[in-house]
Amino acid sequence: MIIVTREDATSAMIDGIREHVESYGVRTQAVDQDGRVVIGCLGEADRLHAATIAALPGVADVTAWRTPYRLASPALAPAGGRTVVRIGDGARAVAGSTELLVIAGPCAVEGQQMLRETALAVRRAGAGALRGGAFKPRTSPYSFRGLEREGLRLLAECRRDIGLPVVSEVLDPRQVESVAEHVDVLQIGARNMQNYPLLCEVGRVRRPVLLKRGMSATITELLLAAEYVLAAGNPDVILCERGIRTFETATRNTLDVAAIAVLRRETHLPVIVDPSHAAGRADLVTPLACAAVAAGADGLIVEVHPQPAAARSDGEQSLTLSQFSELMAAVAPFARAAGRGLSASGVAREGRAA
Amino acid sequence: MNADLIRLRADIERIDRALVDLIRERVSAARSTAAAKRAAGLPTLDPPQEAAVIRRAAALARASGLPAEDVRDVFWRLVALTRAAELAE
Repeated sequence: MIIVTREDATSAMIDGIREHVESYGVRTQAVDQDGRVVIGCLGEADRLHAATIAALPGVADVTAWRTPYRLASPALAPAGGRTVVRIGDGARAVAGSTELLVIAGPCAVEGQQMLRETALAVRRAGAGALRGGAFKPRTSPYSFRGLEREGLRLLAECRRDIGLPVVSEVLDPRQVESVAEHVDVLQIGARNMQNYPLLCEVGRVRRPVLLKRGMSATITELLLAAEYVLAAGNPDVILCERGIRTFETATRNTLDVAAIAVLRRETHLPVIVDPSHAAGRADLVTPLACAAVAAGADGLIVEVHPQPAAARSDGEQSLTLSQFSELMAAVAPFARAAGRGLSASGVAREGRAA
Repeated sequence: MNADLIRLRADIERIDRALVDLIRERVSAARSTAAAKRAAGLPTLDPPQEAAVIRRAAALARASGLPAEDVRDVFWRLVALTRAAELAE
């Protein structure tokens, strides 16, 4: 149930409406929208009596939820209509604003030198944040599974020295606090999109969460996964379309471009795109990145490696440092056409020298 | 480290210690309340009372110039904590 209050409703009236709903054991969330307060009822709506609520002082309208997700729904969009997620100190990395956020870096942190080299290059090319896996979920248990804690230490060192906020994946609820100490954004990978204890745990810490769409997940399932994080108390969720499994074998996954447009309508959360995992091939990453930006994506997350041929994971889809610069140049006109700037690059250039 | 920063952090630590003491006191009071409810034959869970507590906290927050929505979140967590203590009694 969504309760729209009157423009002249007082704080006491709004408190009274919320107390009425909450007295039935149903939590509420209120947002200011165009001069009126909208109250979302988050629990089991069948406990509530719409006609009684409609008669409370200050109530203008009562409607049913149109979607199974609540906090992620546009009905509870913050003032301004879109959630803006600030990463790190927020000076150079913002998701959901009019600037395009580009996150770039290696699939996995392999060592100090390659990480620093990549971080410096992607910062120079205009990236607003550095990605790098320390804990890697791999299909085979015999594949390289990351440097783990040493990888986190190297990421934190890079953040301190180069001044780029860092994004890294967390696999296990028990790791959340220690990963959060070292990184600016906690990434939930596609394989863990429906790992509910993990979603609840990242919801309890105040670090932005980058939630990747599961490879076989519907858009509604993605939004319900986001709802777990939001309901646990963390409002800073960035959604990521990274390609879904289809019958097509020419690409590793199929980039669901439509999902970008659908998500822009169905939620106030920022939506970024991972063209690297969607393509699975370096030569397709730039065209898919352009398509994503043209379709309205708030940002990109791209795999970049100084020597993709020698990468310990996902080398075939990683761009070289110079290819990443080319991607940034190729994306720029699409960003402008979509009404977005790429000013993170300007800010990044003013950042601390390594 | 800057002397002002050291003093301010010491202040925050003192406040945090006081907050934990207050939470302990609140949990203890909730346990006594649970016993009183049982003696009176009332159910332990009382959603209308919880809603009234949250409303009061939001109004106090607003009067103190604090963000009421954030204070509501904090109080829902406190209510959940004390509710668990009551149920464990």
